[in-house]
Amino acid sequence: MRHQLRLWTVLICCIILPGLAFSQNTIISGTVTDRSGHPVAGASIVIRPSTRGTFSDIEGKFRIAAAPGATIAIGSVGFVTQTILVGNTTEFNIRLEEDISRLDEVVVTGLATSIKRRNLSNAVATLSAKELAGIAPAQTFDAALEGKIPGAYTNANSGAPGGGISVKLRGVTSVYGNTQPLYVLDGVFVDNTATSAGINVITGALPGGAPTSNQDNPSSRIADLRPEDIESIEILKGASAAAVYGSRAAAGVIIITTKKGKEGNTKTSVSQDLGFVKVRKLLGVRTFNADRAASLSRDSATSAGLRQAFTTAQSAGKIYDYEKEIYGNTGFARNTVLSVSGGTARTGVYFSAAQKDEGGIVKNTGYRNSSLRLNVDHHLTDNIRIGISTNYINSSADRGISGNDNHGVSLGIALSSTPSFAELHPNSLGVYPNNPFAASNPLQTVALMQNNESVNRFITGISLDAQLQKSTRSFTRLVARGGFDFYHLGTSVLFPATLQFQAVNKGTSVQGATRNLSTNYILSLVNTLTPSDKLSLTTSAGLTQETGDYNNLLNIATQLIPGQSNVDQASALNAAQLRTKYQNEGIFIQEEASINDAITVTGGLRLDRSSNNGDVAKYYIYPKGGLSLNLTKMGLVKEGFINNIKLRAAYGQANNVPAYGSKFTSLSISNITGNSGVIVTPQEGTGDIRPERQAEFETGVDLSVLKGRLSFVLTWYNKTIDDFLMQSALPSSSGFTSKWVNAGNLRNRGVELGLNARPVQTRNITWNTSVNFWLNRSLVTKLTIPSVPQGSFGYVLGSYQIQEGKSATQILGLNGTGVGKLGDAEPTFQMNTYNEITFFDHLSLRFLLHWKQGGQNVNLTSLQNDFGGTSADYDQVTNKLNVPDGVYRIMQVGSDAHMFVQNSGYLRLREVGLYYSFTRLPVSYVKGLRVGVSLNNFLTITKYKAYDPEVSNFGTGFSSGVDVDPYPASKRGTFHIAIDF
Amino acid sequence: MNKNIFLYTCGLLCILASCKKDYGDLNHATVDAFTKNATTEQLNALVSGTESGMRNNLSLYLDDVGTIGREMYHFINAEPRYVTDLLGANDATLTGSNFYITNTWASRYQVVKNCNILIDAARHSNYISQEQKNGYTGFAKTIKAYQLLMNLNLTDSNGIRVDVADPDHLGPFVNYSDGLAAVAALLDSAVTDLGNASVVFPLPGFENFTDAAGLTKFNRALAARVAVYREKWVDALTDLNGSFFDLNGAPSLGVYHVFGSGSGDQLNDFFIPQNQTGDVRIAHPSFAADITPGDDRIGKATPRTAVASLNGLSGDRDVWVYTSSTAPIPIIKNEELILLYAECKIQLSGMPDAIVALNRIRTAHNLSPYAGAITPQALLTEMLNQRRFSLYCEGHRWIDLRRYGRLNELPIDRPGDDVWTKFPVPVSEQ
Repeated sequence: MRHQLRLWTVLICCIILPGLAFSQNTIISGTVTDRSGHPVAGASIVIRPSTRGTFSDIEGKFRIAAAPGATIAIGSVGFVTQTILVGNTTEFNIRLEEDISRLDEVVVTGLATSIKRRNLSNAVATLSAKELAGIAPAQTFDAALEGKIPGAYTNANSGAPGGGISVKLRGVTSVYGNTQPLYVLDGVFVDNTATSAGINVITGALPGGAPTSNQDNPSSRIADLRPEDIESIEILKGASAAAVYGSRAAAGVIIITTKKGKEGNTKTSVSQDLGFVKVRKLLGVRTFNADRAASLSRDSATSAGLRQAFTTAQSAGKIYDYEKEIYGNTGFARNTVLSVSGGTARTGVYFSAAQKDEGGIVKNTGYRNSSLRLNVDHHLTDNIRIGISTNYINSSADRGISGNDNHGVSLGIALSSTPSFAELHPNSLGVYPNNPFAASNPLQTVALMQNNESVNRFITGISLDAQLQKSTRSFTRLVARGGFDFYHLGTSVLFPATLQFQAVNKGTSVQGATRNLSTNYILSLVNTLTPSDKLSLTTSAGLTQETGDYNNLLNIATQLIPGQSNVDQASALNAAQLRTKYQNEGIFIQEEASINDAITVTGGLRLDRSSNNGDVAKYYIYPKGGLSLNLTKMGLVKEGFINNIKLRAAYGQANNVPAYGSKFTSLSISNITGNSGVIVTPQEGTGDIRPERQAEFETGVDLSVLKGRLSFVLTWYNKTIDDFLMQSALPSSSGFTSKWVNAGNLRNRGVELGLNARPVQTRNITWNTSVNFWLNRSLVTKLTIPSVPQGSFGYVLGSYQIQEGKSATQILGLNGTGVGKLGDAEPTFQMNTYNEITFFDHLSLRFLLHWKQGGQNVNLTSLQNDFGGTSADYDQVTNKLNVPDGVYRIMQVGSDAHMFVQNSGYLRLREVGLYYSFTRLPVSYVKGLRVGVSLNNFLTITKYKAYDPEVSNFGTGFSSGVDVDPYPASKRGTFHIAIDF
Repeated sequence: MNKNIFLYTCGLLCILASCKKDYGDLNHATVDAFTKNATTEQLNALVSGTESGMRNNLSLYLDDVGTIGREMYHFINAEPRYVTDLLGANDATLTGSNFYITNTWASRYQVVKNCNILIDAARHSNYISQEQKNGYTGFAKTIKAYQLLMNLNLTDSNGIRVDVADPDHLGPFVNYSDGLAAVAALLDSAVTDLGNASVVFPLPGFENFTDAAGLTKFNRALAARVAVYREKWVDALTDLNGSFFDLNGAPSLGVYHVFGSGSGDQLNDFFIPQNQTGDVRIAHPSFAADITPGDDRIGKATPRTAVASLNGLSGDRDVWVYTSSTAPIPIIKNEELILLYAECKIQLSGMPDAIVALNRIRTAHNLSPYAGAITPQALLTEMLNQRRFSLYCEGHRWIDLRRYGRLNELPIDRPGDDVWTKFPVPVSEQ
């Protein structure tokens, strides 16, 4: 305590007596370039042992005052840090070597501390701006992460415009709790709630009349962020790295750092993308003939009518491919980004304005995002730095109607029973005929419906870094970070009365308004004590708080006045409101010791409590610890062939708070003809609900050879989740169907292997490559509640089921003789490789390949087409009964679910781009010009039968991979041009 | 100076650390708040919620009973299990994990739970008299008995749980006859409560049966149905006497589920307009084939402009029992009571009385008086036939034929189809 005491004294002194005078030095100047002589802008130039420094400007030039005999360290992201000794020379030309193994990259290890990768005790994945958005840019931020994070299972829920990607780090971290990582943008905890627009009112995917369900396919709010503004991303995959983030870190943390202005000339860049969006794959439709048309009904009169209808349509040439008509639209895509970055020694500014607008593969769907960002960093004094990062986002997604549905209205479901000889086109008056084969005419639905999500969002982060005390041996800082994330989400679902299926409701309008405010702050004191040159101790301690306030209001109007969408222009109106609120508080202390720059020991404790827990006052304690031994730095391994080898191990705990409201047994509204009534909700409250606790141990070795041209990272981890939260299915005779319980324990074990190399380095060609391999296996080690099928549609069609002693993601179903295991959503392994090949310094080919081996989906899209008699392969005969395959498959329903549980492995060329940088520029004020072309998700090799192996009817929760007529996935081709001024 | 800073620091930490938050339930009333000391308004909200909740998944119940009883088909491409599992297509069987049993089962027990909360809330309320407490309790027990009966109708010999007051310690499953006995006992107990009660409830579906006397009549009508299911014919006649049974009264007199389009209310989602495509309820072809020409009940299945078909099944008539989205669905009506009376009389060999009752139904539907054989067998067949058309798509035929061991009389539409005798209990109960 005495030590802290001194800190506070110093804090006050610092505020009162700002600025200490430094002695005058000589001026050193120089130019920083890369291997091929291109200037490196924004390289940091730091005088050691002080921390004074500057940055190189856009031409790579810098000037700094330094005392003779001082050391200057020059570094930049992606390059090996170089040190030079200040002697008599005052002019330096510094050529930085690219850092293939990223040993000098600085990685965040605490809420206010960071460390070089060389000494890190965890395997922390990082993504650079180029990897994120510089190959073949995706539509949204979440899609830009796909296939790029080793150790993650990323999966698109559907192809609908506006995003919706599930990111699961190192296996199943929760069953019914939060499975998605925490996103931290410049210190602000960014909300990633997926809010339903109330589409269940239309689809009835969840029967029983609820306005929303987990099958409504909303986008995740993280999709709003702009990849172009991002400098780098760090991924803390488990508790051993993320423990300091406490209550919300159990599913991992994704730390996003946006671009900052640096000292130097102001750089203005304008980039323009133009492209197209097309469907990735169509399933094809059944080729009908008169007999097949007749066989759609067993009723003789209907059958004859169908035969006649086919013959008439055929002779009139009116046989259509409705799948192609609905999903075959080519969307136009454009994206414009203007960024301005620059600054003085004291102030750095980064500003960007961007807008994108994209059409979808279904008419009247698409995505638009406009964003403004201003980041300002300013040194108030030499000792106090403040930073503000602000972002305004306006996004709008028209997502169409897709996915599971019980009313025959989603496009895929309607198509599944509509044969090619049906006439769905409007007549000369523009009137669409009713579809006699389904509850809706999908052409009419596409033309008249609306399902829009539009967002206005402000994210602001503030940071304060104040030097409180400094002596030769001790250095103390106050680090405060915090901010807020506020958005308003307006959803508009409109299905006018003229639609075929609105005959009863006579028009439905669901207007939603959601506002969410999240705030958080971290206050910490960091002291670095250097008792000797060989020992450095970094102590940090502090407080954190996070709050959330979410308010969702849905108005559901039916019986609309024709042409109107306002909810008051209707004769029936229902409303639903959902509010959630939480406050989490934490206290943390962390100690990092670095011995000889070779051994790093880390230990920390975090205490957390949350208003969502049963006991709101109770603090839960989460420890962490880590050790890294750099054998080369220790001198145990001589630098030679091996230039760096490190052994590391880390352990940590984190938690996942219970869902809001899991404590309460409530009464919900249940009115009857004007009498207001209440009925007990199906969820029983659990008054003593506890957070689920994750403990992770990881260990590994990092090896770098051939002067860093080849490096390996091998990691093994064991992650246990104790007291995992599950919505236990209660015997429904209790009056309740579910209850949140701490239901048991599960475990994930896995291996991650990474390789970074530069296989080719000649005068004219450089090839940088990284290859990653990862796999995960889960096991439910304890289950205290009865095991029941969950997360899908029961055994008949294949269902998830948590069972003790089994994989958490196993899929069970009817197997012909009873119920057995039919598959597992967990991939056997995944691999990716990112490559950049540069020719003659100007032409750059970049590509990302992603291979997911194994893992099963529950494919019900193909089943729907069989039921509707429209599958492309319906009439093939390859089965033992010698009947059409479609008929055969239907016969299996109810006795065998094998055919629905399908391998969803794939090899995908996720992104490929070819870029050219011009060196001879037309006019002097143009400093840079780049052009490029890129293809996104253009090539997929898979045996999977339906639209795309990446799918999830149930959104980003536990049970991904259930395929029910999603919005088909798309591919993109884009032309890029970027000009720097 | 140092000491002060130390104190301030500690103070700051304490302030930050002590502001723990508990937001409570921001979205709903909680059960705890209602069971401590409920006001009349809170109790009445539970009464309305109970009446309203009885409609949850009711159309699914009617689909279940109507489909297996070959009264109708529910064709919907997106949900094949209506025509596969329920009809036993190919090798399909009924499984306890599927919506057709889990949803309707859970909804009935949700109402049972609400009734138990109502009983608990009434008991702990200091705002109401003992007579009022009896009224709430009698109402709650009656509805509870009815909801248990509906689940027992589905699971038959697989049984139900009767004692479900404590969710952590549920009572055992009881078999069909014990289940019926428990339902009968619950109804009797409710009548005792209602006998010492003075209440008038806001029950829009109960017309003139909203006070203690009216609820007693409703209760006895249900008791008569249960007694008939238990083959206690004499008891059933006694119960009918205590009910609103009126041989010459309007057949439609009774207690109904009513619907509305107001906020938080429900529409009758069994209703589908005529001649829809896609999601349709189609009368089983045997309905029109078997009905006597001239019977006005043919209006319950109107001809379609186009045949509807799915999965090898087809039909050319829409089910047209509920003709709007706010059309009421009967809980029990005089027409059934007249037929229950006839059934008891046949079983007790009171043939003339039985024929009077049957003719009351026949003439009401534009048919000539009964002219068939006056044997128990022939009259039972006639009684079941009248029940088939009078109570069409109201959830009876499958249960009636099962009671008489006549499920084998139901038509099989596709080779390999099955007529199930009972639903499995939901997997959550197994």
